[in-house]
Amino acid sequence: MHETGVLWLRVAAVLYSVGLAHAVTVVTARRNTLFPAALFAFYTGVVLQIVAVVESSLALGHLPVNNFFETISLCALIIGISFLIVYLQYRFSSLSVFIFPVVFLMTLIGSMETPIASWPNTRLRDAWLLLHVVLILLGYAGLLLTAVGSIFYLIQERQLKRKRPSALFDRLPPLATLDSLITHAMSFGFLFITLGVIAAITWAFIETGSRWIGYPRIGLALLTWLVYLLMVFLRATAGWRGRKAAVMAITVLCCAALTWAAHVGLRSILEQ
Amino acid sequence: MKFCITGVNHRTAPVEVRERLAFDAANISDALRDLKHRPGVLEGMILSTCNRVEIALATEDGAEAARCADEFLAENRHVEREWVTPYLYRFADRDAIHHLFRVAASLDSMVVGEPQILGQLKAAWSVAREHGAISGFLDALLTRAFSVAKRVRTETEIGSSAVSVSFAAVELAREIFGNLKNTTVMVVGAGKMAEAAARHLRRCGAPRLMVTNRTRERAAEMARQWDGQVVDYERFNSVLPQVDIVITSSGAPHYILTPEQMKKVVEVRKNRPMFLIDIAVPRNIDPAVNKVENVFLYDIDDLQRVVDSNVEHRQQVANEAEQIIQEEVDRMLVRLRAREVVPTIVSLQEQLEAMRAAEVARMKGRFGTLTPQQEEALEALTRGLINKIAHGPISELRRNAAEPDGEQLLNAVRRVFRLGA
Repeated sequence: MHETGVLWLRVAAVLYSVGLAHAVTVVTARRNTLFPAALFAFYTGVVLQIVAVVESSLALGHLPVNNFFETISLCALIIGISFLIVYLQYRFSSLSVFIFPVVFLMTLIGSMETPIASWPNTRLRDAWLLLHVVLILLGYAGLLLTAVGSIFYLIQERQLKRKRPSALFDRLPPLATLDSLITHAMSFGFLFITLGVIAAITWAFIETGSRWIGYPRIGLALLTWLVYLLMVFLRATAGWRGRKAAVMAITVLCCAALTWAAHVGLRSILEQ
Repeated sequence: MKFCITGVNHRTAPVEVRERLAFDAANISDALRDLKHRPGVLEGMILSTCNRVEIALATEDGAEAARCADEFLAENRHVEREWVTPYLYRFADRDAIHHLFRVAASLDSMVVGEPQILGQLKAAWSVAREHGAISGFLDALLTRAFSVAKRVRTETEIGSSAVSVSFAAVELAREIFGNLKNTTVMVVGAGKMAEAAARHLRRCGAPRLMVTNRTRERAAEMARQWDGQVVDYERFNSVLPQVDIVITSSGAPHYILTPEQMKKVVEVRKNRPMFLIDIAVPRNIDPAVNKVENVFLYDIDDLQRVVDSNVEHRQQVANEAEQIIQEEVDRMLVRLRAREVVPTIVSLQEQLEAMRAAEVARMKGRFGTLTPQQEEALEALTRGLINKIAHGPISELRRNAAEPDGEQLLNAVRRVFRLGA
């Protein structure tokens, strides 16, 4: 992509990050206060992204879809425009909880085509990676709590449905308490994992330029994040509870475990 | 005279059976009339609540009281006798009195100690009285039953530990919602039980109460009392998504909430859980509603199981109460037998008095006119004699009235003094 095009793209990514913050506040605090700001930032981001695509098209003489980065960026733009159309048509604002983070991450990835920097020193490089690991581990803790909470919720729900109070009945917290535990654990888990993913992408970008995107292991990690986002979205908008929520939480947990397993030895590959 | 109680309760019959046998305000008059005119029946009463349907009968000695009650239930409720028989229990005489006292004292209730049953029993009694189905015997027995219930309540802890259906409902609501301070409660139908449940939920912190009822005045009255909001019966469905806890106790003959409706409601609520309590018999909510995700439906039998699971303490209290009942039954039997010996005592006294009067008259005829002093002395002497003679048999009769051989003594006294049949 064209030099200034990349700059616009990066600014757009920063703007889209307001949308990510909005999604997190909706899920954690159940508040919609950031939506107007996020929507405005999103509009601006889309405009900037259009500018970037137009500039690149002019420079290249055709639509910029030469490589993965350009394609994913264009894809993010198309999703963003579609969202705006749907929003203007149906005022379906809760969809933003899902769309904003996706568009943000795709744009972020798309803006990392050309290497911009190298590590000033190895200490920062290691600390950066350490930060990534710590964030992801915090996220995993949240995710584990979510899954365990969901299973308890399921058990308590079954007992209430079966109407046969047992000894366990007294020891499990009320459904509402479990529900709030799940919501909080899930939100913080999501927040940490998202920050961890961002840290990872930027690290890989600085470390290896554009090469990292080709690894399926990283694809798996991004897929896990996407499934997690889906869970957050379904819970925040459709209020998924009980069996569906438990299945979903366990799925995300399994994906996360697979991703972790797939990461074994990844650093050495990236460092080559 | 024979006394018997026949019926079904929550232990012997499931709600499906009880709802088929239940009597309501509309058909109770005809039922009482039918009952009273059955051969051999002297007095009768019908108690019909969500948890029990009982027929109390006082019959002539020759009549088969138990069979009469069975027939009445089967014919009046249009069910097969063979179908209903396995669910029935029958008590006669002493056992029947015992059972009646236990029911009145709420020892036989689903939730032991719950206070509503006494009111229901009083209502059944007054309806039967209005219809002339009750006279001396049942009247005395029920009046006694009410005071026994009162005694049990004041002398034991049964009332304070009594955890009525409403209490069980609150416990369950807490299992779902944690605390109740963010919940909205709706009461459909303004029955006694529903009112009690709503009151309990309100006291336990539920801030918002909605009331709906077919007759709006009744709903308005209840709403005023509990600081609630009246909702039109026709549109209560549209308000349901705002409601967390629904209590139904309307007299509707069909289901007023179906799974399809509830699925829609839960969808609008974004799957936030809902707790439905159906204390109506016949039931107001289709049992299949419990299969809808995030909806928890409990009918009156389900609440019982919850209550049963922590009855230990109440069981102890109930034991104390059982002793009082035992005492009171004995005392009642003494009273009843005493009632039976009264005619004998009266006729004994009359007989002796007649003999005395005749002898005194004969004496006067023989001696001519007596001075007032002489006449007084004669009266005193003869009266003293018959009182002394009568004292032994009368006090024996009274003392032994309730003993197993009381009847024999009664017959012996009648024979010895030639008191006629």
